[in-house]
Amino acid sequence: MIQPIYFIILSLIIFVLGIIAFFIKRDLITMFMAVEVMLNAANLAFIALTKAIGIIDGQIIVLFVITVAAAEAAVGLAIILLIFRQKKTIRTEDIQVMKG
Amino acid sequence: MIELFLVFLIFGSLGILLILMNKILGPRKTNPKKEKPFECGSPYLQDKVNTLPIKYYLVAVLFLLFDIEVVFFFPWAMIFREMQPKAFIIMFFYIVILLVGFVYAWKKGAFEWER
Amino acid sequence: MNSIMAAVPLLTVVVGSLFLLILEVFLNRENKSYLGYISLTFLVICGIICTSFWNKDYSYFNGSLHLDNLSIFFYIISLLTIGFVILISLKYLFLQEANHGEFFALILFALSGMMIMVSSTDLLIIFLGLELLSISSYILAGFRLKDVRSSESAIKYFLLGSFASAFLVFGMAFLFGISHSTSLLAIVQHLQSGTSFKLIGFMGLGLVLAGFGFKIALAPFHMWAPDVYEGAPTPVTTFFSIGPKAAGFAVFLRFFHIYWHSLESSQAIFWLLWVIAVLTMIIGNLAALRQTNIKRILAYSSIAHGGYLMVAVLAQDYTSLMFYLVVYLFMNIGAFSAVIALSKKNKEFLELDDYSGIGFQYPWIGALFSVFLFSLAGFPPTGGFLAKFYVFSAAVRQGLVPLVIISVLTCLVSVFYYLRIIVYMYMKEPFHTVDVYKENPALFLVMFLCVYEVFQLGINPGSILVLIRQALISLPVF
Repeated sequence: MIQPIYFIILSLIIFVLGIIAFFIKRDLITMFMAVEVMLNAANLAFIALTKAIGIIDGQIIVLFVITVAAAEAAVGLAIILLIFRQKKTIRTEDIQVMKG
Repeated sequence: MIELFLVFLIFGSLGILLILMNKILGPRKTNPKKEKPFECGSPYLQDKVNTLPIKYYLVAVLFLLFDIEVVFFFPWAMIFREMQPKAFIIMFFYIVILLVGFVYAWKKGAFEWER
Repeated sequence: MNSIMAAVPLLTVVVGSLFLLILEVFLNRENKSYLGYISLTFLVICGIICTSFWNKDYSYFNGSLHLDNLSIFFYIISLLTIGFVILISLKYLFLQEANHGEFFALILFALSGMMIMVSSTDLLIIFLGLELLSISSYILAGFRLKDVRSSESAIKYFLLGSFASAFLVFGMAFLFGISHSTSLLAIVQHLQSGTSFKLIGFMGLGLVLAGFGFKIALAPFHMWAPDVYEGAPTPVTTFFSIGPKAAGFAVFLRFFHIYWHSLESSQAIFWLLWVIAVLTMIIGNLAALRQTNIKRILAYSSIAHGGYLMVAVLAQDYTSLMFYLVVYLFMNIGAFSAVIALSKKNKEFLELDDYSGIGFQYPWIGALFSVFLFSLAGFPPTGGFLAKFYVFSAAVRQGLVPLVIISVLTCLVSVFYYLRIIVYMYMKEPFHTVDVYKENPALFLVMFLCVYEVFQLGINPGSILVLIRQALISLPVF
């Protein structure tokens, strides 16, 4: 059996990859996918910790996080669609009107 | 355990190296023609891959939401016997909330394919 | 006492928002203000139910949600915020092409999120409340569907907000790992005692604090706030500047009340928060100086006020924290409603130049706006002065003299940009004619109520302080 610590390290790596992707990508959908990757890294950490600790609460938390992520995805895609209808593009540099 | 890791390391890095070798070593001469998806000389008929109609989006999102909300039935089913009367009431409220969302989507015309 | 009855205030709001959602699709009338009145009715019912639970100390869902005095106090703050926001948005939605009935349902969903956040001591439930609040806020920020700025602010808020909640969840995973639970009390106890996993625990705590710091716009995580505040519809901006802050500081209050008692481990986090507070005050106030858009000025000012609230958290004086929140609620809603008052069909006057000569053209709006600005700057007869005074004196009593010196200096800086608006209103020739849509009784009702409360809290704060002390009794005693 593979030790849970490896999964935690893996989740850490995925999380950092998500952060990097969020900052280097210039495309709204890809940035959003990076956030989803980060959330799923957290889910993996929860599952691994549940396995390590031996109590089942962590798995329930994962269900909640998945639901929240789905709700976020629905809202986020709707907003991205709205922007695409207005501007015909989803590149970040093209949609910037306000400074900062 | 450590052997498995080593195998992954060696083969993984070898694979990445082989893919990257092309980019690192190969000469790079591009021109606008080369960047096009087809290099047959004839102008292409469409701009790019067709975007999907927007109808798919709504259906997909609604499917996603209602699909994931049903996930909560599993933990509920696990403890159903232990909290017999309470579990019914809680799930009743949960389904009512889902139903309100469903009715809202229906009345807004999210399920009408032809519009 | 553990009783399902205690869920009634929360259920009232949730049922209200579902009812509004159904009503909106089935009736589908052109004039949406009837939905506003119905939602106000639900808020009043909820408020009455809340007050009947005062001093009863209920909890429900196996102790994961509490209906103690502290929760009820923050419920009332949230209800007031939402009530005022609904009142000032009744005409606004119609005037600014945002006439969709879902607004009221969404804002009630946001309210229920806030109510869950302030009444819970379990990190998972707090996270769920926070997400309910945030997801409704993302939609509300983009509510003017035809406006490019509004949708840009929505996407910025959405991307950075979900980025922050990913941090929050990851930090939660670490804290769950060390404490085997998500309850705040258990987490703090394990942070104290666990020696082997201390580093992981503090990493998790840092991530969670970063997530919360983002939601309440503390300094290194504040960069989204000005853009989002500028682009969102103005009543929604009003809500953003108060709602998430009040709820976030309620969570901070509950958490740090437990945390400051874990003696040996609190030093590192204390200095981290110290730096965050100082940065928030300095950046908020200095960046506001060079803004010309009124909503951006108020955005940076609300960031700065977050810094002062952080000083109260550091001083461990929760009476002053809650008093500051109450005063901030009234003066900020007043200021924003003055901004909304200066608008007409499909046009808002938001540049500083538009405000030149307003004081003589529209004496009422000018005078009321000046009162709110004086209060935000912290001048004596108003509540803003007393709020700052309580916070700073509490900090001095705790021996945080350098922190207080920095905050007083930044206060002086803030006086400059608040007074600049007043100078524009009273001492400049009109730049161009500003014609305003005047028939908005609800808005003026809100402004007069706020101005009354600002003076009332500044001159006679006794009764509210008594309420706050009663609310704080329900915190656990060590």
